[in-house]
Amino acid sequence: MSKARRIWKIGLLSVVCAGLVVWLADTIARGGWEISGLVYAGQAAQSRTEARTITIERSPVRMIKDSYPSFSAVAINADENMLVVTDENLFQILEYDRRDNTPPRARFTEPKRVISGPGTYAEMMCGVYIDPVTKEVYVLNNDTQNWLPVFSPEARGNAKPTRYLAAPHGTFGIAVNEEKQEMFLTVQHQNSVVVYRKQASGDEKPLRVLEGNDTQLEDPHGIALDTKNKLIFVSNFGNAQVSEPGSRGGRRAIGTYGKFEPPSITVYPLEAAGNTKPLWIIEGSQTMLNWPAHMVVHEERQELFLANDADDSILVFRTSDKGNVAPIRMIKGPNTGIKNPPGLALDVKNGELSVASMGTHSILFFPVTANGDVKPLRIIRGGPADSTALNIGNPGAVGYDTKRDQILVPN
Amino acid sequence: MAHPQIAAFARLANKGQAPARTVFGQTSKLSRTMHDIRYDEIHDEFVVGNPFANAILTFRGGATGQEGPIRIIQGPHTQGGATRLDVDPIHNEIFVPSVNRIRVYPREANGDIAPIRIIEGPNTLLANAESLAVDPINNVLVVGFNKQGNDPDGSILVFNRTDNGNVKPRAVIRGPKSGIIRINQMAVYPPKKLIVATMPGLANLMEPPDAFLGIWTYDDNGDIPPKWKIPVSPKTTLKKPFGVVLNPKNKEVIISDMRLNGVLTFSVPEIF
Repeated sequence: MSKARRIWKIGLLSVVCAGLVVWLADTIARGGWEISGLVYAGQAAQSRTEARTITIERSPVRMIKDSYPSFSAVAINADENMLVVTDENLFQILEYDRRDNTPPRARFTEPKRVISGPGTYAEMMCGVYIDPVTKEVYVLNNDTQNWLPVFSPEARGNAKPTRYLAAPHGTFGIAVNEEKQEMFLTVQHQNSVVVYRKQASGDEKPLRVLEGNDTQLEDPHGIALDTKNKLIFVSNFGNAQVSEPGSRGGRRAIGTYGKFEPPSITVYPLEAAGNTKPLWIIEGSQTMLNWPAHMVVHEERQELFLANDADDSILVFRTSDKGNVAPIRMIKGPNTGIKNPPGLALDVKNGELSVASMGTHSILFFPVTANGDVKPLRIIRGGPADSTALNIGNPGAVGYDTKRDQILVPN
Repeated sequence: MAHPQIAAFARLANKGQAPARTVFGQTSKLSRTMHDIRYDEIHDEFVVGNPFANAILTFRGGATGQEGPIRIIQGPHTQGGATRLDVDPIHNEIFVPSVNRIRVYPREANGDIAPIRIIEGPNTLLANAESLAVDPINNVLVVGFNKQGNDPDGSILVFNRTDNGNVKPRAVIRGPKSGIIRINQMAVYPPKKLIVATMPGLANLMEPPDAFLGIWTYDDNGDIPPKWKIPVSPKTTLKKPFGVVLNPKNKEVIISDMRLNGVLTFSVPEIF
């Protein structure tokens, strides 16, 4: 090859390389190029206004997730042998036959029907009620959806509710006065009890609201009615908020500050409204209260049953108990199978108590007179007997403990 | 959420594997709606808020069972509670967003303590500030807006870490190209000056189609799309990303997903 030809080739190569560099720079500046369907953006541009995004489309290497239901609340209609539970993990409303009993070797019991899906207005559910006449199912969203949907007895799958009420954010407990057709809800976020017409729907406003410093409602959870003695019972976790006198309060109100109080059960007249003081309070070390959740009153026996979440127990008080009193009975211990129970329901007709045991994917049935470390009469399991419920619910955040190489997941 | 708790899972935990430990119960003083948690590696502590008792709780790093916090910031002088927060373990400060203010407390504060700095005022542009993350190395504070409903003002604001009073943000990332409707938990990656944030989409949608995890840079300003994003999709399996934390040692992005009630770990070496 002649020297001139070599020089010409080198020159041509230089021009091509320079052109490639210019083209690359221009492409990067314009936002990127595609390889295998992914777009790679320009690096460290002064302004990335026109930059395209690198979309990371890949599978996670790991996923922590419980594949079985977490039972948060339970309701019973004994006449129809109807047992309805809410599942906070998979966002389902499940109906079982209350007489079901999962065989020890079975993985779980199939529900009779399932209501679930984005059209249901039901997601992070913590409360449930069955209308004794129509058999409609009322469901409370504790978070993520501010609705109280009502489903017909025929509703299945991704069913639209027959009606839904725009409920306050953070409702937990539900109780109904059938005689007066009034529906009572506890609201965690505003430390209140709101009372609606039972048939309320849409943007209907409550009939009355119980709230204010004097009520001593402190992160209210469960609610139960004694219509015989015209009383409201409310369980409180003890997360109190102190507001300026005359203020409606609210955790974000200017001048509101927080305070930790002992857990309690506060008792009010059935018609209480406004900033009404409790008639009396059950509170103190003898009570064994530890994150007291759903409650129910057995009017004939004049007993108050309470799901004691963090103590893995069910406590029974007399409805007349006051102050620092010990429960008259307690269902607790390894034989009971109770773990993290937020919910419970009474079946007065059959003399049974059903317990939503969130920590074991199961509903447990006991005689209403059960006491101590007793085995349940029956178990309806939503998952295998040896499975551990993760109890992850609405994980709004995640942390990483670099010392222990652990992922921290708050609910 | 019926049962509040903090569950600690092994990094390699997968599927239904049980947590290594949980913190719960009356003694813990936890409540539900803990929308943030921050681990402080230097002092081996973690910090969470209790929004129902307007309290900031600090636990020892290895806390387990029905164990209580070692410090509590709560009371009338604190000027508000905490839903989300972050800790600066180097300069020993805790940052708390509250709608139109950022409050800063000494990390070791205990009791009814007033903030030592507050960023607030019309120049700050703060509105619906619900999340933040602090970079103690580059002295940057990033703030996310989160509003319910169809909010046109979903934004990320960038401040200096030591800002105080009625200061202008250094940068505002906002607009249709940014894809931001609202921001939940945030993180920063100081070595690459990255802002990492979950964008869970419209609050009233159970499965918002446009939700994603987005990664921007400290230099971004204006209507800037994320440099990287992990979208909701059948491939990623994400449905509604709420929380995020980085594990640089293993080049992982860890995301909590509300709609899945799960925690997903992605290997993303290219961002580290």
